[in-house]
Amino acid sequence: MAPEAQPDWQPDFEELVDRHQSMVFSLSLRMTGDRGLAEEIAQDVFLEMDRHLSKLESAEHACFWLRRVTMSRSADALRRRKVRGMDLWVEIEERHGMRVEEPSSPLGSRLESLLATLPEPQRAALILRYQEDLTPEEIAATLDAPVATVKSQLQRGLKLLRAKAATHLKEYVRGA
Amino acid sequence: MVHEPFDDFELELRQALERRPAPPSLKRRLLAQRAARSRQQTIRVPSVLWQRLAASVVLVAALGGGLTWRHHEDERRKGEEARQQVLTALRITSHALDHAQAQLAARNRDPQNDSQ
Repeated sequence: MAPEAQPDWQPDFEELVDRHQSMVFSLSLRMTGDRGLAEEIAQDVFLEMDRHLSKLESAEHACFWLRRVTMSRSADALRRRKVRGMDLWVEIEERHGMRVEEPSSPLGSRLESLLATLPEPQRAALILRYQEDLTPEEIAATLDAPVATVKSQLQRGLKLLRAKAATHLKEYVRGA
Repeated sequence: MVHEPFDDFELELRQALERRPAPPSLKRRLLAQRAARSRQQTIRVPSVLWQRLAASVVLVAALGGGLTWRHHEDERRKGEEARQQVLTALRITSHALDHAQAQLAARNRDPQNDSQ
């Protein structure tokens, strides 16, 4: 499932940063729930990309590489920091007086908080599915996991998230 | 990418997970770190050049020494061949002289040759 090479494509560092910094930052933010850590991870990922720039074969390959390395670094950071899910989101907002940018709906903000309480593999699968719009096969390639495992994590993660939303979000009406 | 249609919950989740803009400081810091790294690499270049120059000199000296040694070997071999040829000639000459001497000695011993 590796992206095809483009012989005439030349990687440009600044252009790649402009194009993908939002993606990289958002992935690491939703995985870790920590804005400062997400920024550190994003920085490390792009500097790593700079060292491997000559090995990137196409624009699609660059995007694939960035997603893969961001998810890997985020997982490593989580293991090191043992980030707690929902409590940490609340802690960040209260301690730093900093509001996470509000999505278009309050429900969306709460969903994002609930997502952070899921087990890491399920959270990773759901983020790649609903933030990046990837298929289960693409998620499997990104996470270097079997497709069946990814499908199982998506199913279980979504079920758990629905249950949490039904419990914690009184305004939410269960979907189809 | 073709997905099965999302239900309302999934649509809500998708909206909640729209990408967030990265902080402006991220790109600024990245470009600054990249420039710093590039400067460090530029400073290292002269010493790398000196190392390469030294390696080239050693290589040329080694090649030159090898060629000289080979020339000497050729000359030595030619000299040895000439020596062998001379020795062979001397052996042939010596053998011929021995043969002539033997014939003379035989003639001297035969009395019939003296009376005639």
